[in-house]
Amino acid sequence: MNDVQPTEPTSAPRSRVASTRENGASAAGEPAVRIRQIRKSFGPVEVLRGIDLEVHAGEHVVIFGPSGSGKSTVLRSINLLEQPDSGSVCVDGVEYGPGVPGEPVVRRGRPMELRRKVGMVFQQFNLFPHLTALDNVALPLRSVKQMKSGDAMRKAAESLRRVGLLERAAHYPGQLSGGQQQRVAIARALSLDPKVMLFDEPTSALDPELVGEVLRVMHELAVDGMTMVVVTHELGFARDIGDLNVFMDQGVIVETGSRELFESPTNPRTQDFIRAVR
Amino acid sequence: MGITSYDWGLIWDYRSALLHGLLIALQVSAVALVIATVGGLGLAMLRMGRAPLSWVALVYINVFRGMPALVTVIWIYFGVSLLLGVNFTVFQAGVIALSLLYSAFMAEVFRSALQAVPHGHREAGLALGMRDTRIFFSVIAPQAFKIALPNVGSMFIGMIKDTSTFTVIGLLEVVRVTQNANAQTFQPFVLYTAAAAIYVLAAFAVDVVFRFGEAALSSPPKGRVSRVLRARKQKRIHTLLGELA
Repeated sequence: MNDVQPTEPTSAPRSRVASTRENGASAAGEPAVRIRQIRKSFGPVEVLRGIDLEVHAGEHVVIFGPSGSGKSTVLRSINLLEQPDSGSVCVDGVEYGPGVPGEPVVRRGRPMELRRKVGMVFQQFNLFPHLTALDNVALPLRSVKQMKSGDAMRKAAESLRRVGLLERAAHYPGQLSGGQQQRVAIARALSLDPKVMLFDEPTSALDPELVGEVLRVMHELAVDGMTMVVVTHELGFARDIGDLNVFMDQGVIVETGSRELFESPTNPRTQDFIRAVR
Repeated sequence: MGITSYDWGLIWDYRSALLHGLLIALQVSAVALVIATVGGLGLAMLRMGRAPLSWVALVYINVFRGMPALVTVIWIYFGVSLLLGVNFTVFQAGVIALSLLYSAFMAEVFRSALQAVPHGHREAGLALGMRDTRIFFSVIAPQAFKIALPNVGSMFIGMIKDTSTFTVIGLLEVVRVTQNANAQTFQPFVLYTAAAAIYVLAAFAVDVVFRFGEAALSSPPKGRVSRVLRARKQKRIHTLLGELA
């Protein structure tokens, strides 16, 4: 299946992706993101049943698992697009979210402050269709970073260049392919200099031939040392960049591991899933 | 009796009175359009908001969507002066009646337009750290406006036609002018044909104007005027790209 085929990104040199878990470079010290005891129910269904995860600076975490396992909800909890019923999100030493039951109450940051440190890329791109590619990137620079129009445009253009779309700056989303739209969305999130980037199935809505260009941009980001949390079905790509791979099923983290998780999973559910998608 | 016994020249004789009637109709409708747009937007927000304000909006919308223009204007012109002792001019009464009625319709137009903007766009704005008000004005409202525009055009045409009922309070609009001319000439077929033509042509003109607006708001913008405006922006981007290259 196309899902697991390592496409173009494998052509980029693997060794350049810093594998922080293995060399232990940043395993010590405060994690960039730490979520603790995240619980979330939609009506009678408990979709997250106590999730703990630490992401260190420069680390690339891949979350995978069957649909309905709660992987997107975990991702959306990190920037509180999904408000957990309980649990805590800690970014940059500040606690956000409702908190862990039984813990003493500490000062909790506002969701907007959290989101200004966390970038997110969606499955459906969510570009603003009435704005050009350049204005899509420049709008948040003006409204969030309070940049002047000219400065915002310049920074937006730099950001578009980084994803290889500078020459498409004046195009509207409707004039761009899905892959190009997703790259603009990546540029938009990147331009705000986030501490961590969240990717919610960024290639799932793309035609197969457009998947490669998006994964290539993400791979470059990984090489540049961006802290990333990626929900994906592209296990080939996961194997490529994942320092910490997280297998989720039915609202819990079943198993985690570095690359060997794909070669020799120990949990039978992980084994079944990896065998099924291979 | 052949069609030759109709005096079609009458239309020419009454041209200035008829066109003045149209002007009055357009004036009343245009003022009411502005008020109903603002009112409709406010009602749409209330309707999509929390109870009990959403219920108030819902009741308002259902009451005034069900009221005929004729009844409303009589009620405003005669009823309000009886109740409150306020005497409106016929022009004011017409504007108030249309504003009240069409705010209710506009509320539904704007509500459906706002709801047609994908939810993901708000989420994207939030994820970028934008404030809700900023997301509304920079992301949601421009898209909703574009979606709503053709329906706003239809509303405006409806308003112009509804002014015909204001003849009942003596507003000198197209129908009133037609009635007066008929009283002098006894040529109802000719005169009402002229009135019909005036309404149809007015509706056509409004349609053309709104189509221009739609083209200008499409992404990328279409139409000559927006192409000129866009050229300036394109030039700015290309200068910037030139700098960066």
